[in-house]
Amino acid sequence: MSVDLLAAFPGAQLPELHFGPISRATLALYAGASGDHNPVHIDSDFAKAAGLPDVFAHGMLSFGVLARVVTDWAGVSRLRSFGARFVSITQLHDRITCRASVVERFESDGEPRVRLALVATAQDGRETLRGEAVVALV
Amino acid sequence: MDVATPANPKGIFDRSAKGRSLAPVNVLVERGSIRFFSRVLGQIDSIHYDVEAARAAGHPDLVAPPSYLMVIEALASDELKRRGAQTAAELVNFDFRYLLHGDETYAYRAPIYAGEEVAFSTRVVDFYDKKGGAMEFAKLECDVTHAERGVLVRATRTLLHRLPGAAS
Repeated sequence: MSVDLLAAFPGAQLPELHFGPISRATLALYAGASGDHNPVHIDSDFAKAAGLPDVFAHGMLSFGVLARVVTDWAGVSRLRSFGARFVSITQLHDRITCRASVVERFESDGEPRVRLALVATAQDGRETLRGEAVVALV
Repeated sequence: MDVATPANPKGIFDRSAKGRSLAPVNVLVERGSIRFFSRVLGQIDSIHYDVEAARAAGHPDLVAPPSYLMVIEALASDELKRRGAQTAAELVNFDFRYLLHGDETYAYRAPIYAGEEVAFSTRVVDFYDKKGGAMEFAKLECDVTHAERGVLVRATRTLLHRLPGAAS
């Protein structure tokens, strides 16, 4: 897990990450692992009664995967902040691609840092999450 | 500037909760839970699975992945239910048929380690409406705090109801 400091300049792309297809089993496991038992993600009967076509993915499942594009590159200990907006619902069977690029290099709290722009997209190009992360380069 | 918002007649959130907090709850961070959560997300770093690898990397025990705050929150919520105390869902009045997650942001100050007891707390920051009242939003702030190491992670979160029958 090495951070290429010299390459971490605006415009640099991090290695992209692929996740899925997201199955009902993935959602059941995420519900169990996270403790988020909201039935709209794991119970098709509940989802249909709420007027939805079927269950859909926990936003926080995609969020956790999107964070990995950063931590697979830099390690958890270097992560200073991470956030995302849930742009559209991640559907059952979606295959997600997570991408990150360096937008800014700056200094804060006495350490060099980079700000990264993040995006998760489904197989049809639909954006599901847009995020931002700050990573320390030391 | 704080402008008073007229109540949304179709709104579901309990807006009287603005400014209120839930009782902080202590949660024990367990190795098995960190491993299970990490495996489902596909974490590759062995510091989430292997105690020796975590120690070799300078940590006292397994390190929680970046979105682990949600797991601590779920455990805290279970504990509140056991005590018969109010949960965030009750305080703010979530309707899971219409509830969506708008955004989530974490500020990391220090790692969360297996074997630690941490406190989880939630504050209701604000409520607002969009799209002529077709969507209503709740803004929450949550902290994971260690008794000696202070706040480890602070979360800022927006939740929304896509209100049934509301004109958009």
